[in-house]
Amino acid sequence: MTILSFNNIEKHDGHTIVFPSFQLSIESGEIVGLMTSINVRTVLLEMLRRKIPVPDQAIAIDGKSIQQLGKSYHQRVGILSIDDGLYERLTVKESLLFYHRLFDSKLPIDGILQLTQLEAKRNVRISKLTFSEKRRVHYAQLLLSDPDIYILEEADQNVDLETKRVLMKVVQELQKNNKAVFVLTSNMDSALAVTNTIYRLDEHGLHKLDVMQQEMEPEDEAVEEEPIVQPVRFEKIPTKVNEKIILFDPPEIDYIESSEGSSQLYIKGDMYQSMFTLNELEQRLLPYGFYRCHRSYIVNLQKVREVITWTRNSYSLVLHDQSSIPLSKTKMAELKEMLGLK
Amino acid sequence: MTFSLKRTLAIFQKDYKDVSKNMYVSFTVIVPLLMAFLYGMQGDMGVDMVYTVINMSLSLVGAYIQCSLIAEEKEKNTLRGLMLSPASTLEILAGKSLLTFVTTILVIVFSAMIIDYQPENIVIVGVAIALSTLFYIGLGTILGLVTKSVMEASVVIMPFFFLFTFGSYATLLAERFPVLKAAEYMPNTQLIELAKEVQTGAGFGDIWSYLAVICVWIAAVFILSYVTFKKRMMD
Repeated sequence: MTILSFNNIEKHDGHTIVFPSFQLSIESGEIVGLMTSINVRTVLLEMLRRKIPVPDQAIAIDGKSIQQLGKSYHQRVGILSIDDGLYERLTVKESLLFYHRLFDSKLPIDGILQLTQLEAKRNVRISKLTFSEKRRVHYAQLLLSDPDIYILEEADQNVDLETKRVLMKVVQELQKNNKAVFVLTSNMDSALAVTNTIYRLDEHGLHKLDVMQQEMEPEDEAVEEEPIVQPVRFEKIPTKVNEKIILFDPPEIDYIESSEGSSQLYIKGDMYQSMFTLNELEQRLLPYGFYRCHRSYIVNLQKVREVITWTRNSYSLVLHDQSSIPLSKTKMAELKEMLGLK
Repeated sequence: MTFSLKRTLAIFQKDYKDVSKNMYVSFTVIVPLLMAFLYGMQGDMGVDMVYTVINMSLSLVGAYIQCSLIAEEKEKNTLRGLMLSPASTLEILAGKSLLTFVTTILVIVFSAMIIDYQPENIVIVGVAIALSTLFYIGLGTILGLVTKSVMEASVVIMPFFFLFTFGSYATLLAERFPVLKAAEYMPNTQLIELAKEVQTGAGFGDIWSYLAVICVWIAAVFILSYVTFKKRMMD
């Protein structure tokens, strides 16, 4: 059953596109991560809070446009924002008791205290808690409101390991209860911690990221002995984030840098660890218009906007996103030839 | 949209616990009591003096607590959480007003006991004070909506505190400055005039005009706070 759906919603701000029209639906029992810039996220959240008007049916809950839902909307959708406040003078228990009555919740407070590991702090004033514990109070409050879809904005930013683990447990619990979770973040790690369904939304639109769970089971010895034959040419570049492998389309990559023996992919300002050496990557990426412009750099030529000559012997390439990478002297001549300048 | 008493009471209780731990706000409750004690020591006070203390309680407790309750929710970013809950704005404001109302009435009753003020007709005076409290709650709501923090609220309340506590003395100067005649229609002056009439043994029939003027003030302040609310919630 689809809980939340975005139907051809888009946002322009003056002459710039915040995000183009996209389609996304979230089923119950599904966890979806959305990686965005802060800009896009703020706009989306304002829309979800119904502060910015959206076209009819553009955002729908159970197929009903959010404008038509009235107050009952707040019982269906729970939003955890990064700048939510707390009643700092109340104790944890008093604060939860208040939300319990406010939302007329059926859930037991004790169970939620246990789930969020706040039992020991139940009679402590909220102002005396650490930042991570305050975050857990937020989780507890959201759980009490018991909505059908949980929208979490940067839920695990700056929190300690224990809180991260609590969040993962909470999300798993929610999935078991057939609730939908929508994670808004600008950090790949925090999305990966809770889900494998991750999208990226930016001014170019919505893209799904390919995430594979790394195989944990030991492979058969015999298979390993066999020479690996790739039946089709594999055109994606794998990177590693924690225990997961993320695949990128070559055109997405801005440039690759080698540092301390390993190579790092730069994509929209984020860095991803590659599993290949620079030489291997150069071979694989050559057909896609990549160029080894320096001993320790490979650049996507499509993304180069400017070639800057500092002195007769020193050059650099400036990319679309303003990052600049070095270009060695010998390669400059080669590049000029490629551009047909000589 | 149905009005839920349960949610209103939940907000009332939450705010009660919150305010009782907030020294900054609860100290203002002490000030009128302290004034009552000091004046009471001098013994034998006129109605004017008694009502200086009562008007002070109304503006300092009624308006200020309401104002800071709303301003603090905004300052600490908790108001948004409340707005995203099933509680309607009316329920939120009702919960807060209820707390302010109870506190104000209690402070006034205690002050009256300290200075040993015995009105001739307690029903009329009670009704007048309850109505005045409503006016000050409305005033506090407007100020709470326009201010962004408790600090700002406590500065903004000051002119109103002076106006409504000592404003009644303006009528004494009305002979020299005819403009100040308008001060006679202020809600605080009306309350004093009403109390004076009651002390001379007036009944409901004699003082209805004072109550009417106070009611006009209440209507004005509530309409204004509704308009302010509509404007403020848009941005």
